[in-house]
Amino acid sequence: MAAINIFHYLPGNSVIHRIDTRIKLVCMIMLSITTSLMGRVWDYLFLTIILLLFFWLSGMPVPRLLKELKYFHLLILMIIGIQAFSLPPAPGAFIPIPGFTLAGLKSGLLLGWRLVVIVIICLLFTGTTQISSLRRAVEWFLHFIPGLPAARIGTMFSLTFVIIPLIFDRAAEISDAQKARCVSGRKNPWQRISFMVFPLLRRTFEQADEMAMAMESRCYSEVYRKTAMKTSGYDWMALGFTALVCGFLFLL
Amino acid sequence: MNILETQNLTHIFPDDTIGIHDINLRFQAGEFTILSGTNGSGKTVLVKHFNGLLTPSGGRVLFEGKPITANLKYTRSSIGLVFQDSNNQIVGQTVAEDVAFGPENLGLSPTEVKRRVQKALTAVDLSHLANQRPYVLSGGQKRKLAIAGVLAMEPKIIIFDEPFTGLDYPGVRQVLQQILELHHNNHTIILITHELEKVLGHAHRIIVMDRGKVVMDGSPGKVIAGIENYGLKKPHGNVETMTWLQ
Amino acid sequence: MAKTSPLNLRMTVYSSLFTALIIIGGYLSFPIPMNPVPVVLSDFFVLLAGLLLGASWGFTSVAMFIFLGALGLPVFAGGKAGLAVIVGPTGGFLFGFLAAAAVIGWIAGKGKISVLKDLVASFIAGVIVIYSFGVIGIMLVLKTTLLKALAIGVLPFLPGAVIKVIAAVILAQVLRPLLQPQFKSNANSNDSNDNQ
Repeated sequence: MAAINIFHYLPGNSVIHRIDTRIKLVCMIMLSITTSLMGRVWDYLFLTIILLLFFWLSGMPVPRLLKELKYFHLLILMIIGIQAFSLPPAPGAFIPIPGFTLAGLKSGLLLGWRLVVIVIICLLFTGTTQISSLRRAVEWFLHFIPGLPAARIGTMFSLTFVIIPLIFDRAAEISDAQKARCVSGRKNPWQRISFMVFPLLRRTFEQADEMAMAMESRCYSEVYRKTAMKTSGYDWMALGFTALVCGFLFLL
Repeated sequence: MNILETQNLTHIFPDDTIGIHDINLRFQAGEFTILSGTNGSGKTVLVKHFNGLLTPSGGRVLFEGKPITANLKYTRSSIGLVFQDSNNQIVGQTVAEDVAFGPENLGLSPTEVKRRVQKALTAVDLSHLANQRPYVLSGGQKRKLAIAGVLAMEPKIIIFDEPFTGLDYPGVRQVLQQILELHHNNHTIILITHELEKVLGHAHRIIVMDRGKVVMDGSPGKVIAGIENYGLKKPHGNVETMTWLQ
Repeated sequence: MAKTSPLNLRMTVYSSLFTALIIIGGYLSFPIPMNPVPVVLSDFFVLLAGLLLGASWGFTSVAMFIFLGALGLPVFAGGKAGLAVIVGPTGGFLFGFLAAAAVIGWIAGKGKISVLKDLVASFIAGVIVIYSFGVIGIMLVLKTTLLKALAIGVLPFLPGAVIKVIAAVILAQVLRPLLQPQFKSNANSNDSNDNQ
């Protein structure tokens, strides 16, 4: 089970943890949008410093951040690499590698940096927010949109994260059992996929049926329930500060 | 009055195999009944009908004298069903959230939901884990969580489907202790199991099913003699005191 | 929205199940002989969702998957998360998934179900739709030419994609009967729940 870390949440009681999830969600979206719109080195530098400050405030350990970035390192390197070779060469400048340009490298580095910034924003959000409270916040926002079944979306949100560890455990079990019977000796790839997926799905379908019944037996209903969520002055301050940072980046 | 009654209850699957056939049973309030039989004898199908989860092919189920379909919500909140695999029953992101699932569905006020969650978690001794994610719990704890989820609906009857499966010795003892406490608190208990030696001493009555029919029904002392005819292992020792609890 | 039939609840659970499978598919990778890139199973489950759940529930499963990722939960291939992925060079494929589930459910679910139609639908959705979106995404984000985008985004994955299309169609034939309710449940109607 340890192989999959769907739960980013690190328990804590920092200033970042305490912000109301709905406000935190808005802050995350504001920061993400700002990041994808800005383009100068100074913007990136400024935002990175602010985010690292948030990160420090959240009390999350630095290795967490590095681990998170590790997932992305191939993608980032790819972006830098492709960008470096994709701009037309400037006349006169001599660079010994064919196709490589400095302007391209610079634009690749900025794109990569943007990715890093967005990763940090996400980690800050998910690392300090419990899935159940995220679900409630999402439900809260969605229930304002007419015609959208907010309660059902909330249920699906929860169910997905209930089902993942169940399937993953079962998949690991089936995979081990097949390894024990030397499945690696088989060369045919789609046979291997079938051997894995068919037993996995047969069992999980049965489980899904039972789950639906168990929910029915507990009187499942799809009425949106107002949950007790309160915002305090502190939450609005956090929102104000984020807005200030974003506004600053836009105006300057 | 009978709290629960079935009349000619029959269930035939879409592929024409018979799930249960012509079941006529009556349960008294406060009874502790064991429902036993081999795999595929129809025990689980039967109790799913008690909860209105399946539509009978024939016959009907009465709860407190009225057909259960008259008010399914009331039936389901009054007849709690603890499923065989707790994993299938746990839907919340946290222990407390899962227990709240039922009461919230009943449309209770947030304060009442909270009160019931606390009460149910205290009853199964899981209060200290209220904010944990369910999948980190042990097998026995998961089963207790499933029980708490049912308790929070404040049912009159609680049905346990194979509650001892996959549990180690301490786990079985914890869950058994729990079931007995619920029985002492005036819940009617229906317990599906074929592991008779773990629990038989506590039961008033044992029903044996075979191929979709009720083949034996009576006090443990009477029924136990003929039990081997239906693929069940006859436990050794004194039926009156047979239990895994000391 | 206020009331739901059990049938709907069942499909809600199945839809979440496929969201979970799509997420897990991004963590499971298979090596293909003579091919440099290992194959992940996300798109395979997208195809299965479309084939088994039909257009609207299949679409819902994929939409939920992208929504969870947009919220920052690490659901994308290899544990990636957030808008970084959606606006990144591989983001086009995600939108391709969304379109693919709808397209495959729409074609395969129209009229009588047949293996041939499944195959055509899966091929159109699994190869043409997903990779068209993917290539457009690469071209937009990395500002490359069509040829370069094809070379990095399609060619290495093509053998895997074809295998997955075939495997999805074969599995769909075996799995469809399982989606029929095992019990006659209290649902108002029980007919054809895999292509509504």
